[in-house]
This record gives sequence, structure tokens and C-alpha cells, in this order.
Amino acid sequence: MLTKVQPERFFIGSVTLAFVSLILATVGIKSQLFQNIQYLILLFSSLSVIWIGFKAGKFIFITNRLRKQALGWLITATFSATLWLFAQKDIQSIFPVLKGYRKVLNTFESFALFATVVCILFALILFIVGSRDSKLDRPGFIERSLVNNLSSKIAALPMVFTAIGVFVIATLWTVYHSFTNSRMLPKSEFVGLGQYERLWSSDRWYLSIENLAIYGICSLIFSLFIGFMLAALLDQKTRFENTFRTIFLYPFALSFIVTGLVWQWILNPDYGVEKIVRSLGFDSFVFNPLYNADIVIYGILVAGLWQGTGFIMCLMLAGLRGIDQEIWKAARIDGIPMWKTYIQIVIPMMRPVFVTTLVIIAAGIIKVYDLVVAQTSGGPGLSSEVPAKYVYDYMFNAQNLGQGFAASTMMLVSVLIVLIPFAYLEFGRRKHG
Amino acid sequence: MNSIEIKKLSLNFGEVVVLKDLDLSIKKGEFLVLLGASGCGKSTLLNCIAGLLDVTDGQIFINGQNVTWYEPAQRGIGMVFQSYALYPQMTVKGNLSFGLKNAGLPKEEIENRVKHASEILQIESLLDRKPAALSGGQRQRVAIGRALVRDVEVFLFDEPLSNLDAKLRTELRVEIKRLHQKLNNTMIYVTHDQIEAMTLADRIAVMRDGLIQQFDTPKKIYNNPVNKYVAGFIGSPSMNFLKGTILQDGKPIFKLEGGLDESPDLSNYKFQESIKAETQVWLGIRPETIVTGDEAKNMPVNFSLEVEVFEPMGADTLVWSQIGGQEFRFMVDGNSSVNVGDRVTVGFDPAHASIFDIDNEERL
Repeated sequence: MLTKVQPERFFIGSVTLAFVSLILATVGIKSQLFQNIQYLILLFSSLSVIWIGFKAGKFIFITNRLRKQALGWLITATFSATLWLFAQKDIQSIFPVLKGYRKVLNTFESFALFATVVCILFALILFIVGSRDSKLDRPGFIERSLVNNLSSKIAALPMVFTAIGVFVIATLWTVYHSFTNSRMLPKSEFVGLGQYERLWSSDRWYLSIENLAIYGICSLIFSLFIGFMLAALLDQKTRFENTFRTIFLYPFALSFIVTGLVWQWILNPDYGVEKIVRSLGFDSFVFNPLYNADIVIYGILVAGLWQGTGFIMCLMLAGLRGIDQEIWKAARIDGIPMWKTYIQIVIPMMRPVFVTTLVIIAAGIIKVYDLVVAQTSGGPGLSSEVPAKYVYDYMFNAQNLGQGFAASTMMLVSVLIVLIPFAYLEFGRRKHG
Repeated sequence: MNSIEIKKLSLNFGEVVVLKDLDLSIKKGEFLVLLGASGCGKSTLLNCIAGLLDVTDGQIFINGQNVTWYEPAQRGIGMVFQSYALYPQMTVKGNLSFGLKNAGLPKEEIENRVKHASEILQIESLLDRKPAALSGGQRQRVAIGRALVRDVEVFLFDEPLSNLDAKLRTELRVEIKRLHQKLNNTMIYVTHDQIEAMTLADRIAVMRDGLIQQFDTPKKIYNNPVNKYVAGFIGSPSMNFLKGTILQDGKPIFKLEGGLDESPDLSNYKFQESIKAETQVWLGIRPETIVTGDEAKNMPVNFSLEVEVFEPMGADTLVWSQIGGQEFRFMVDGNSSVNVGDRVTVGFDPAHASIFDIDNEERL
């Protein structure tokens, strides 16, 4: 026996499903099935409208407690219907002024039609729910989703759409097209795993990954270590703490491009450290990491650390300040040396700060691009290439979107492989604990 | 023998003088309470004794040894903090044994001490839990345990009950008192709560602005406060202060400012020294020593008042009224019926009063 909850859930569910298929159809999955399936799904949801209406057995208007909301949806439906009508050729031939906006109107044509149908369905079901439940106290599923706290839901919609659009749809679109042989423009000509085979047989890609691994591991360890040490030193009631903090944080205010240029000059043998030391009389002194393919990535690492460590220090300092001073006193009474207090008591207490810092550092590592471009442009040769640069070069210079998409998909996969177990450990545990 | 002796202790934070030339000696096995409003330097003094703050001048002796420049861990003290200051990622057992392990004590010794301390404090069943899984009272017990396992002569408590709710506070207060009776250690206890001070202390040091105002037994402090500040700080509800003048008419009499039909005779009161005529004074009288009704009529001083506000507190009812424009509070029995506007006859014996000079607020 069906209660009223199931058809209501079915209604909301099918509308959501229809919306998803509409989105998939719009982002370029051009199969005929996806073109019209959303209306088929909406047909199902209208069946549940009829079902609920049948159970209600009556249709009242004047005393309907949801009539304002239902009218609101009807007005929205009228707007979208007008928009849809404006996009029709017959209407446009009657009002020639509309032809000027033809392109915009055509873009929104399918959305407008879909929104019209959905809004009419919403209005109908609210009328029915309002009629049937007129004497009930407890709001049903539909009422809770569509009426209660509606303004906050509307306010959240732009962010929801942005998040879904950027993180879900754009990602899916990229992954989808990484299986095609798109060149300058995306197209749906599938080549299976061809792009990936090419990617993994490319020396440049291997080199990029190797560089990223070196840069990543070193920058993770050193920025955490140096950042924490600086924070711990500043936390000793240092005089002029604010001044020091500002100085250490200053590099963070510079963009990677500026940082890269500054360090390019510092490490340049003709103007930088080598020149200075040679002018002191050490004529055979050699220090040119950016021109040595074996160590060029460490030259980039130094610049990255110089830029990022101050920020890590600030995060760590905030974490240290969050530690209760009485913990320090208790440790002193217990006779625990300071270094041991840090390692065994304070650092474990700062776990949340370390997690945040780790995420920030990791994100910085994965996206490292501008620093390389500014310092070496990937040179000498290909010796300082990184994956982000590989992606950019293939997408916009070599005009091989498919290859670029395949590389960026591999980056996404590797991030997920690291992130999912980590997130599971960090956030999944808390539910049980 | 004195367990702790403080000689000419001074502490400045830059320009700010927090403690100045402070002397204090505490007998072995004594329970001393440092009492004062916040900012009076009582916690600072405790931190100096613990060695958590470097003193500017003066010396601290613990068990006859000059420990002024010793590290906290070497002073033979244990300390309990207001925020418990337990190590959150260690179990209760870990918290108790961490300092001992660090000091390199043999394993069995650590086991024994943890066992002994947890038996005394009844936290044996909590040993494997982490502090986050304990209630406030249990946490404070663990914190006391951490001081206990150190097997030291002197215990320092820095407002240990302030973070607990009222009911737990009274429970733990009794437990601390029991603990003291059992261990007979020297304990120094900092609080701003005068009831804690009265109930726990062998002697109380009332502090104000870095100076000890009075250092005496709770009874003496309650009955013979040396100045108006101490008198007002100790006792709940606090003491009534009536402004007036002392006249000599063969015997000392008190003339209330704002007028009273007859001037009370103070010949019962024991003045510290002979008093000049026409001295302006505060007459302090505790609400608890004021009697009402027929009893009041037999008292050397009595007058009648109008009830303005009354606060039933169960056993007693606190009545607020005015005398000659000055505020006056007294207690009546909780079962007697009091109404706003009633006239009540009150009386007291000047022997139970305290009289303070109006200028320097010292006891006369």
C-alpha cells in the first residue's frame, strides 16, 4: 500500500532526474536519447501529480493554504513560457525587434521550455497538496521541500549551480572529452584510451611527474618544518614579533610570477649570487642551478619555499596561540623539556591546523605552473616541466585538447587517490568517534 | 618548621608593580588560601612560588631550601590548574605517568604511584579514557592526580573549581578537604570565592593590589577584619556599612549620618586603642548578627525599619531596607512572613560589630 510519502518522493526525484538529463544534454552529449528524455521523465512526475490528486479527491482554491506559493510558481511558469515563445520563429516574425536578441533567446530556449513545464508541475502539486492536507498539521515531503524556508533555498541556488557547474559538470565534460581526439575544438569523436596511451608513452609527461614529485615532497616537508620552526621561535614572546611576522609573510603578497622573476635574477650567474661571489675574488665559483638540468627543480623549490613558508608560519602561529597556556605550565611542572612538549603534546593538539596546512600546501603543489613559467619556462630543455604546464601547453599551444584533457584527468585521478583515503580517515572517523 | 617561606618578594611586569616586598610563611601541613578579587596578584604569587614566573626581587624557600631560581620541576611541588590543563591526546593513565616517565622513574614505581593516586581519587575506572570523554569533575580529579603522583610536599591549586558548576564545586571542595586531611601536605589554594576560602583554609591571606591585607585564621578574619576591604570581601551577604560619627559622652556613642532618634551606645565594643571624640567612622555589622522581633528589643542597639525588598533563600530571607538613607540588610527566618512595607524591629550587639576609620579604613 502506497502512503502519500512515496508519490511525493517520486515526484521530487523524477524532477531532479529530468534536470540532470537536461544538463547532460546541454553540455554536449548529443545523443538523441538525451535530447528528449527529460520530458519523458517529467511525464512520469506528472503521473505522480495525478496520483496524489486522485488520493486527495478534491480541489479547493479559496481556502488552500499553499495557494500563494502555487500562484508564485505559476507566475514563474508564465515568465519562462514567454521567454520560450520569444525564441520561436513564428513569434519572432511577428515582432521583428526580437530578432536582434535571437542568439541569446535561442541559447535559453530549451531551459525556458523545461522551466515552464517544471514550474507548472510545481504549481499543480502545491494546489493538490494544499487541498488534501488542509486539515493536517504536519507538512508533507513536498511542502517541506518546496514551501518551507523557500527564501533561503532560493538564496542558495546560485552557489549550488556554480558548484555543480564548475566542479561536477566541467569535470565530467573534461573526462568525457579526454576519450575523444578533440584538437582545437572539442568534438565527440571517440578514440578510446588513445590519448592516455600517448600520454604515458611521452617522456615529457614522465619528466613532469618526476619533477612534481621532487618539488612536492621537498616543499611539503620543508615548508611544514621551516614554517613550524619559525612559528615556534616567534611564539617565545619575541620582541618585535609583529615586525618579524610581517617580514616573513611579505613574500606571500607577491604573485608567483614576480617571485619567479626575482629568483631567476638571484640565481642568474650573470647578475646574481655567482656574480657577487666571483666579484669577491672566488673566480671559479659556480652557482647556477637554473642552468643545470639535474638540479633546476631545486632552484624552483627554493623560490616556492621563499614564497609560501611565511604563510605556513602564520597558520602554525595561530595554531600555537590556540594552545592553552596552562598546558605549558603543567608541562613545566611535570619537568618535560620544551622540545618534548612540542613534539608529544603541542603538535598532536594542533592536528586540525596541520590538516588545514597540509591541504593548502598540497593544493599549491599540484597547481604549480606560473613559478616554472617565470623562472625557466620549463627549461633547460624539458628538465623543469610540471604536469600543469603540460596540460596548458597541449590545450592552448599545441592545440590538442584531447591530450590536455587526458593529462588533466590523470592529475585529477592522482589527487583523488591521495585525497579519498585521507578524507575518509580524517572525516569518516569523526562520526564514530 | 616552615614549609614555604617567602621573603621580600617583588615582581614587576615592566613598569607595572604586581607584587611588592611580600613576606609570607606557611607552616608544614598547613592549608593556606590566597583570597582576593581578580587582578589582586594572588595567581601571580602562586606562579612565582611554582617557578612559572621569574621574580624581580626577593627569595622563596621551600622546605628550607632556597628555590628562587630553580626550575618548577625541581621545586618539589605539584600544581592543579583552573582549565585542568590535561594533555588531550593521552589517556588518563598517560596523563598521570607522563611526567614520571620523563623523569626516568622505574616502571613498577610509576605503576604503584598511578595506582595509589587513582585509588585515593577514585578514578581507577577512568584510567583508559581520554580527557575528552570525562566530565568536568572527573577531569579536575585527574588533574589533582597528576599532582599527587609527583609525591611532593607542596600542592598548589590555581582556582581549581572555578570551571565547575555550583553543585560539583561543593562536592569537590569537600574532597579536597578530605585529601588534605589524609595526606597532610602543605597546600596553597588560590580562589576568589570567599566560601571556598572559609571552608578549606587553616589560614587565609586576603590580598589586594599585590599586598596581603590580612593573614589569619578564617574565624579571625570573619570576626575581626583588619580593614573595611577585608570586612566587605568576606561574608555573604556582605557586611552593612553605616557612616557616622563617634561621640564621647562618658561612653562612646555612635551618631548615624542621616539621623536616628537615639544614638547607639558602643560601650560593648572593644576598641583597639582609645578613640578621639568626633571621629568619622564606618560601623560595620554583618547581616547574620542582626536579630529581629522580641529578641531585638533586648539588644543594646535596636530600631525599627521598613522592608523594601526581600530575597527568600530557603533557610533565611534576606531583607533589604534603609536606615537614615543608608542601605541596610539583615536576615530573618525563612519561615517568617515578610512583606514589602512591613515595619520590623531589628537589633544588634556592638560587640559583634566592626568599626573602621573613614579615612584609612583601618579597624579602630
